[in-house]
Amino acid sequence: MSEKLITEEKRVFMTGNEVVAWAAVAAGAEIMYGYPITPQNEIMHYWTRLAPKYDRKFLQTEDELSAGFTTIGGVMAGRKSFTATAGPGNTLMQEPLSMAEAMRLPVVTVVQQRGGPSTATVIYSQQEVTLTTFGGNGEGMRVVYSTATHQELFDYTIKSFNVAWKYRFPTFVLGDGYQAKMRESLTLYDPEQKGVDFVPAERFVGKPGTPGVDREPGHYRNTYNVEEELYDVLQEHFADYKKMAEEVVEYDAFDTEDADVVVVSHGVVSRGAKEAVERMRKEGKKVGYFRPITLRPMPEKQLKEVADKAKKLLVVESAQGQFAKLIKDVIYGSTTEIVPLFKPGVGITTEEITAKTKEIL
Amino acid sequence: MAEVTKIMMAGEGGQGVQSVAQILAEAADNEGREALYIPNFGVEQRGGVSIAFLQISDERIGAPKFDIADIIVALSDRAIYRTKQYVGEKTVFVYDAGIEIPEEDLPKGAAKVLAIPALEIAKNELHPRVFNVMIMGAVIAATKVVTDKAAKDAIEKKLGYKFEQNPKLRDLNYKAIDKGMELV
Repeated sequence: MSEKLITEEKRVFMTGNEVVAWAAVAAGAEIMYGYPITPQNEIMHYWTRLAPKYDRKFLQTEDELSAGFTTIGGVMAGRKSFTATAGPGNTLMQEPLSMAEAMRLPVVTVVQQRGGPSTATVIYSQQEVTLTTFGGNGEGMRVVYSTATHQELFDYTIKSFNVAWKYRFPTFVLGDGYQAKMRESLTLYDPEQKGVDFVPAERFVGKPGTPGVDREPGHYRNTYNVEEELYDVLQEHFADYKKMAEEVVEYDAFDTEDADVVVVSHGVVSRGAKEAVERMRKEGKKVGYFRPITLRPMPEKQLKEVADKAKKLLVVESAQGQFAKLIKDVIYGSTTEIVPLFKPGVGITTEEITAKTKEIL
Repeated sequence: MAEVTKIMMAGEGGQGVQSVAQILAEAADNEGREALYIPNFGVEQRGGVSIAFLQISDERIGAPKFDIADIIVALSDRAIYRTKQYVGEKTVFVYDAGIEIPEEDLPKGAAKVLAIPALEIAKNELHPRVFNVMIMGAVIAATKVVTDKAAKDAIEKKLGYKFEQNPKLRDLNYKAIDKGMELV
């Protein structure tokens, strides 16, 4: 193996796509499979620049279906593999990602959301929440981190590989076009120096020994003949997922205890929400802030508590209620009013969140 | 909460607004400040107005885009029409004096509307190619977000390899910053 990419902590100023490529190298990813689509292209560009220097590999496929399936192939061969996509590419990729869900494969996918539906814009949205959390013909057995800053893009890309290989559910870093293209500072570090233990990759196929004699045969199935057999396997998946959920759920919250209005947001939108709530608190307004970092699994218990205490929840997102659906599902039974601030495919500023919060206080 | 300076630069593709915004952001970062720069990408190749959103502060910055800018620099007539919506009562609105635009179409309610003869001076006294660097000088003088030294260091970092081949380019760029600063 070549020498390390990052040997000491250093502050850098770069785009989010570049951050993801650096993070993947730092996390020990061995190969990226991908097909170009804006706004994630530069993840591939930077990865292909870094990969040869650090003994990593890259394969450009003919479309996102292939990119997804080759990532699965890489994982089954025991290699830490990842892909990145956006928009219509994310749609196509749901087929292989469903297979990864069925076979419990630790595939890591970075999504930089763009406008939808269809080709729409190459710019930005939070409209791939439903697709990324519950896409495909499965039950959403995935881990989805919604990042807000470049530091988080770095941290959670690294974390995704460990979570995927530990729990064996497909894991996603859900970014967006703004995070992909903007530049801001962050601190790069070597995860192992920070005490992060890498979960080792393991072969699914081609293991040594004779199956059934020296070792258990590897049954990685996405096909069943009998209804009950599928049902039983899924029950195991649900049980594993539930057990994992307590360990991987993450959120960020402040000033929710006595808040009349709690602003609930995720991803890049939460930057403006945070700033808005901090400013209004300084003015003495009773407002709070809640942000799920994992959209799958959701921080159910914490969100329910917040909803029960607040008079109103202001749900802010750059989509027409995809995130709100996840919240409503979790807080079912609460009578707290949900006020929407939905701007599908468009950025939301601190000023807009402040104005809307004050209007409903 | 720390003050955030919100800067918007807008022009036609090729006028270099994105380069300037990026250099300014890197200059601020080099000085240990927080900067966030985002282009409105996806439109410039298709003939749209290219806009750069830049924020500089001493603390972490919130949302990447904003409603009202502290300073707007518009380098074409279309850029003026496009950026008017970001003008507030504290906004300083700067545009190139060479742009022909009816008086009534200039933004209303800005703190200051300033026409600077950047293109003319760049053409006659320096070189048209450093027009955007002059604009950077003007932004620095108007906002004081970074020192001219930091800006020059950032340019050196970005174009140093070109300066090595032709040291005259360095003088030209530095002069452009100084000239730009005098315009505001």
